[in-house]
Amino acid sequence: MKATLATVLLGLLLLSVAAWRDQPPAPPPGVTKLVWVSDDNPLRREQVRLFNRLNQDLEVSLDPNNGGNEKVIVQSIAGVGPDLFDCFNGADLDAYYRAGIALDVTDRLADHGIDIRQGFWPAILPTSIGPDGRVYGVPTNVGHNGIWFHKEIFEADGVPFPKTPWSTEEFIEVAKKLTKRDSTGRVVRYGFLIDYWGWRAFMPAFGASLYSRDRTRCTIDSPESIACLRFVHALMHVHRVSPTPTEESTMSAQGGWGMGSMTLFGARRGAMALGGRWWLATYRGRQDLQLGAAEPPFERFRAWTSAGRTTMINKNSPNREKAVRWLLFLAGQEYNQLINDQADGLAAVKRYCEGPRFLLNPRFPEEDHNAVWREVSARAVPEATSPFVNQRLANRLIDVQVDLLRTNQKPIEKALRDAARQVDAAIAQNLEKDPELRRKYERAQRGEEPVPVDEQAFELVRQMP
Amino acid sequence: MSPARDSTLAAKTRVAIGERPPRRRKRNDLIPALLFLLPNLFGFALFTVGPVGFSLLASFTDWNLTQPKVRWVALENFGGMLGNHAFWVYLVNTLYFMLGMPIAIVGSLALALLLNQKARGLVAFRTLLYLPSFTAGVALMILWKALYNPDFGPINYAIGAALDLLGLARDVSLPQWLNATQNMLGIDPETVRFSRAQVGLGARDALLWMGVWTAVGGGNMLLYLAALANVPEELTEAAELDGAGSWAKFRSVVWPQLAPTTFFIVVMSCIGGFQGGFDQARIMTNGGPAGTTTTLAFHIYQKAFEEFQMGYASAVSWALFALVFLVTVANWRFGNRAGDWE
Repeated sequence: MKATLATVLLGLLLLSVAAWRDQPPAPPPGVTKLVWVSDDNPLRREQVRLFNRLNQDLEVSLDPNNGGNEKVIVQSIAGVGPDLFDCFNGADLDAYYRAGIALDVTDRLADHGIDIRQGFWPAILPTSIGPDGRVYGVPTNVGHNGIWFHKEIFEADGVPFPKTPWSTEEFIEVAKKLTKRDSTGRVVRYGFLIDYWGWRAFMPAFGASLYSRDRTRCTIDSPESIACLRFVHALMHVHRVSPTPTEESTMSAQGGWGMGSMTLFGARRGAMALGGRWWLATYRGRQDLQLGAAEPPFERFRAWTSAGRTTMINKNSPNREKAVRWLLFLAGQEYNQLINDQADGLAAVKRYCEGPRFLLNPRFPEEDHNAVWREVSARAVPEATSPFVNQRLANRLIDVQVDLLRTNQKPIEKALRDAARQVDAAIAQNLEKDPELRRKYERAQRGEEPVPVDEQAFELVRQMP
Repeated sequence: MSPARDSTLAAKTRVAIGERPPRRRKRNDLIPALLFLLPNLFGFALFTVGPVGFSLLASFTDWNLTQPKVRWVALENFGGMLGNHAFWVYLVNTLYFMLGMPIAIVGSLALALLLNQKARGLVAFRTLLYLPSFTAGVALMILWKALYNPDFGPINYAIGAALDLLGLARDVSLPQWLNATQNMLGIDPETVRFSRAQVGLGARDALLWMGVWTAVGGGNMLLYLAALANVPEELTEAAELDGAGSWAKFRSVVWPQLAPTTFFIVVMSCIGGFQGGFDQARIMTNGGPAGTTTTLAFHIYQKAFEEFQMGYASAVSWALFALVFLVTVANWRFGNRAGDWE
């Protein structure tokens, strides 16, 4: 027995030694290590390598395992958070701001001549500028959606490439022409691939917003929102040019590819698809694809919901001052050109998306659609958030109703009306608990609160021709 | 036997076998003992008692990770929870998944009885049937997701083939499983009342049957196997001599002997059932469609780590604990007949 115990102990000791030796090596003397929590995208590693090469005294390492604002907030409050972390929308920013973990970098950036409000795409600003008007991060990239299409499918079917701007009616007609059925009537190729959640990408195009201008009411039941959802629902259930969620999962399983529009589009199960420039990161290696891109269709405004990222600094990080150099790097030429070259969305700084170098990268001469992505970025609108309700709760309440609609248990109007009612109830509940929030709410109702940054961006686009 | 009589008997026995009476425990024996226990006690206090006590305190506050101030709100969270319709919906979902519990227990017993036979290759069968228990849960859930594919999953393929055989293929539509809100009891996802339109098979049932499959060949089966091995052979032989058949032998001899094990399994299954559903919701459904697979455990996660309402989430956790405690006490009160068989 003693021998067994001694053997186990020895084994454990050896394993401990092995684990200890397996630790990542400490940075060389004089080099500070910064941890960046971001997604596990291979492109990030190249971005990190570039920074580390340009900044010999700093070493950024990627931590893809602690993403998600719940982990970032809990860890940062506990004092073991990352030095840098990503923020994906206004709701995330609001959470980081309220948790007090985002470092105010307004003055630090100004010292280096960086003005977020001037040089960057307006749609990305709500992920960087807090409710107090201060700057809490630097945009990393933008990933706004456009319409991808297979050039060869259009040519084979004798359908001209999309002539934009195009209305939703024109779009539906094109999608109908490109939808192919077999002899039994079963769809073998859809005209347009869109995930059901993608309906919100079209909200600005219909003039719809999640909240009223003062953000005190949920307006997802507005006639504009209803028209928007009806448009996407009809693509699936009336015109039958897009797969229903069940059909989509079935098609994915058939091809053995996985899930989602991007996969189905790559397998030519759809002639067009809603997606971002970042899809190129997957498709560039595919010699068999001839891709074109067009701006999405519109109903009232040539505007579509934006997507993008901002990187922030953990206020509790001991390396917060050194981490500012990462933000400066994000605003610089080397990084932004790398983003454009990698097709990791589009550079967040506008001026790097201009000129012949951007429009036609000599390394990828077949990519003649960069002007489309630039136009879409200029017309992108951030999704509205309200300071009076947690956006994740609001999204969940909306998703439940959309699920009921998706499964044909509620008509569109009722589903959206119920969603708005529930979000408004959540707002009322928050106001009841928090007198300070109520005072802010009353000021907003009287028009005494500043216009939210996301609303400013929408107004800017609405004024565009 | 009374303790006084026991000690007298013990003393007499010791004298009879010539053993010396035990030394009175010296006070300094206590110190090494405590030192040995200390690391464990320290860990237990720091990582179990501390957080549990802290969460109890938190449940009386409006602690929100995104708010700088924390206020004492007494029972407000508990009142809010009871007045929250979603809480009751998720409690019903949790209870719905527990419907599979009796089936799983009976299934485990049936398997254990089969594996308790004297036959060749039983070890292989035991290993095979225990496989689900040591396979990674995430892998199993992804596999089940594919099995439940409404159009190309083997489950619907089998149902379709059976309906075809019965000539019902045209009249009955195949279940949409993880995409549907329908369920065997016809519970409406919003009102939690019976609705004829909701009768069918949907996401709730998909998770329920997956849970049954996982539980049948798992730890419960092993517990029953161990219990069956402990059934005294003389009892079964005596029953056989009295002319008892297989069923009578099982009902009158084996089943009573399994009562303590069954009791233990029921108690543990109840506790597990109330706390369950998180992994499935997180990996397979994200609590949907329309919240039909959100259980109390997943609701706690949503409140704490998506909405950052730590105070409210703590209150729900304590309510869940109270529920588990009450059910366990009821089990002890009404279900623990183990003593009757001794």
